[in-house]
Amino acid sequence: MDSASMQPVLLFLQSLISGILVGGVYALIGIGLTIIFGVMRIINFAHGDIMMIGMYLTFNLFNLFGIDPFASVLICIPLMFLFGGLLQKLFVNRVLNALPQNQILLTIGLGLIMSNTVMLIYTSDYKILTTSYSSGSFKFMGISISEPLAISFIITAVITGLLYWFLMKTDMGQAIRATAQDRQAAQLMGIDVRRMSIISFGLGAALAGTAGALISPTYYIFPQIGSTFTLKAFVITVLGGMGSVIGATLGGILIGIAESLGAVYISSGWKEVLVYMIFLLVLLFKPSGLLGKSRV
Amino acid sequence: MAILELRHVSKFFGGLAANSDVSFALEEGMIKGLIGPNGAGKTTLFNCITGYYPTSRGEIFFKGNPITGLQPDRVCRLGMVRTWQKVRPLVKMSVLDNVMVGALCRTNSLSAAREIAMEQLRVVGLDPKSGFIAEGLPIGERKKLEMARVLATKPELLLLDEVMGGLNPAESEEIIQLILDIKQRGITQMVIEHDMKAIMRISDRIVVLNSGEKLAEGTPAEIVSNQEVVDAYLGESHA
Amino acid sequence: MSMISEALVILRSIKPAGLLVFLAVLISLAAFPLVVESPYAHHIMILIFLSVIMGQSWNILGGYTGQYSVGHAAYFGTGAYTTMMLMQYQQVPPWFGMFAGAATAIAMALIIGSICFRLRGPYFVLASIAAAEILRLSALNTKELTNGAEGILATDIPPLKIGSLVVTDFLTKVPFYYTALVFALLIIAVTCIVQHSKLGFYFQAIREDQDAAHSLGINLNLHKNLSLAISAAFTSLAGSFYAVYIGFIDPTTVLSMDMSVQIVLICIIGGIGTIMGPVVGSLVLVPLSEALRSNLITQGLISAGLVSEESPVGAFLKENLAHAHVLIYGILVVVVILYMPEGVLGFVRNMVRARERSNS
Ligand SMILES: Nc1ncnc2c1ncn2[C@@H]1O[C@H](COP(=O)(O)OP(=O)(O)O)[C@@H](O)[C@H]1O
Ligand SMILES: [Mg+2]
Repeated sequence: MDSASMQPVLLFLQSLISGILVGGVYALIGIGLTIIFGVMRIINFAHGDIMMIGMYLTFNLFNLFGIDPFASVLICIPLMFLFGGLLQKLFVNRVLNALPQNQILLTIGLGLIMSNTVMLIYTSDYKILTTSYSSGSFKFMGISISEPLAISFIITAVITGLLYWFLMKTDMGQAIRATAQDRQAAQLMGIDVRRMSIISFGLGAALAGTAGALISPTYYIFPQIGSTFTLKAFVITVLGGMGSVIGATLGGILIGIAESLGAVYISSGWKEVLVYMIFLLVLLFKPSGLLGKSRV
Repeated sequence: MAILELRHVSKFFGGLAANSDVSFALEEGMIKGLIGPNGAGKTTLFNCITGYYPTSRGEIFFKGNPITGLQPDRVCRLGMVRTWQKVRPLVKMSVLDNVMVGALCRTNSLSAAREIAMEQLRVVGLDPKSGFIAEGLPIGERKKLEMARVLATKPELLLLDEVMGGLNPAESEEIIQLILDIKQRGITQMVIEHDMKAIMRISDRIVVLNSGEKLAEGTPAEIVSNQEVVDAYLGESHA
Repeated sequence: MSMISEALVILRSIKPAGLLVFLAVLISLAAFPLVVESPYAHHIMILIFLSVIMGQSWNILGGYTGQYSVGHAAYFGTGAYTTMMLMQYQQVPPWFGMFAGAATAIAMALIIGSICFRLRGPYFVLASIAAAEILRLSALNTKELTNGAEGILATDIPPLKIGSLVVTDFLTKVPFYYTALVFALLIIAVTCIVQHSKLGFYFQAIREDQDAAHSLGINLNLHKNLSLAISAAFTSLAGSFYAVYIGFIDPTTVLSMDMSVQIVLICIIGGIGTIMGPVVGSLVLVPLSEALRSNLITQGLISAGLVSEESPVGAFLKENLAHAHVLIYGILVVVVILYMPEGVLGFVRNMVRARERSNS
């Protein structure tokens, strides 16, 4: 429906809901980043690029084998987990004690390698993954809801639920949380922190890759898409408090809503400016995040 | 005249009162010992006095002027400077350059700063190592570097935070002599120290902090015979 | 008086051999366009100078003051846009435009600095990126002013005149060569002066330990902003030069995060916090990425008989390697961070030291 002709209340609700739906996927990206930060204290600048790899993976599974993008999540998760674990084992583990700026640069370098390798293989052309439901939508109390967004939101919710269960209820999840809380203490308690780091990076990559799979029916796919999402992931995690999984979930949804409302009420060109403004304001006035405790 | 005066200074971290209602004055030319069990709030008090933390309550006067809320660099330029319990050398710079950074507080000329710095390095006995990179110094020399660096800012009041921590007896003795030398030069000092013998020897007066509060104040002789102080310390060693 | 004695100290510390090498390099650089006529060679040299300007400007803030800005595209783009807009829309020659650009960049730096310098470590890095992104998106969205995503194309560059005397008309690459050379020497000289002054001591103290520096009487805000202002002004000069030389700018080239990253890399690869670092970084990066861009490497592999032109590998390389120069940046960074954390310069220095030690 043309948004200009809609009733103001409906318009608001519709953009709110689509913001929440998109925000769910953002939350996945943010949670991945925040887990990596929590455990390793490293900000992964390649996070968006890992998501981009997930997009291309899904694109290929669809084009070569006809696997539905949502079904491909099941393949994406283990493959991206391995990919992330490998990155950690080969590269990131070696700079855990290096200067923070060197850690940042290393992940920037890894991101450049990923995006440019993909560009070499697939060129920088925009690719579109068109499914039967890509532009489908259904009405719910007069509000039109995009089908792929709704499905991806449901999948996101399930994955987030599983993740909470994993982190809270399993031994390994507890070991990861202990490592995040105090690396040295965890080591003294006999936790293999290097292994936990590999698993955490794997998890982070799996979440980012899954987000890539989920958005591939609705977004253009191109090698350089990563950097915007890396930035978005930063915004989300800082908003929720670095290292907080619940914070990242809320942060993702909040950014989804801000973008969606910004696009309707300001303009789609300026919506990202709005997001970065919020980001700077939070950094300045509440650097521990909206949920975090203030430091002094 | 009191060179430094604290009136009802409090510092809260969330619900924790790291300093609460601390008041005392510091006479010019004296050495004041600041003691108390671990976590008593001694370092926090230094942080508040030098402007590194904003105080939650209370006022601080330096040479009769209010300095509450001033930034550390302003406080340093006014003539009060502190050392760090956990030493903070500028690791990638040479020993001489470290001290020159302090000296540049009072001059814009590098050659003048170099002279001041060399002089202070001689005072602490680090002059043979002036060309070394600070990163390579052992802990004893790092503490001396810290001392030379603050002396180079030409302070009137020095706040020393556990400058003998982690040193062997011979090194500690050198620092004690250094502190007494500095006193001879007319510089007022406030010294946090865990080594009771040392603090009793050098201090003119002592302030005791416990759980953020001032527990007692007096001459070394008064402090050792104060039952509350003895209890506080016994409490610590029994914990 | 003290200035003079300072200068004397610096002069005395220069060794005659070093001075001779420096003069020899200077003279050969000045004579280069007279001896070598190939415009392509001039082009490569110009790109190296440009890269030195960018790297050295960042070095002052990142290398000496320790503030890792990954948002320097903001200043590069500000220079490029100010100069280009003044030239295309107001007929202001770039010789004046670039100073307007530098002034605008300094103003921008003070605004961005007032926000970002309250933050430390990774938070500072993130804020610097966000600030640059806001600028890029703003340039994209203010089409009336910047022509948005379509960018600005330079139609013609007015000649440089003093009165009615035409100094140069910028029809060949030679005037660009000398302009870039002078800028590069200027920023190197500025860095030298800073390094041998109180300012340089204070910048480095801030880099090593902000709290310690603060307690020793250093006004953190003032000095960080000073460092950023110097850095931003020269970065914007590089941007202005780029705009006029290439003749086209758009937000995705001059204001992108890729540009910011590239500026940082010049320094990291060479070695940060040293005068020669950005020079070495430029000497490594520019020829390498140009060799890739112009397919020299593929040609070389083919003519060396290592791959055949008809084979799928050869065809693939020929087709794609030209786009791979950013890939090389990525690989270089990873290699440098893992194996030469002090940059190429530091790596070589350590090698030499190790050899000396084993010889003695
Ligand atoms: N920045 C801070 N944030 C929160 N708590 C702090 C901070 N600095 C000190 N504290 C707390 O304040 C108390 C006093 O610490 P400190 O001044 O370092 O003690 P002391 O130097 O006497 O050993 C301790 O309980 C410490 O944990
Ligand atoms: Mg202490």
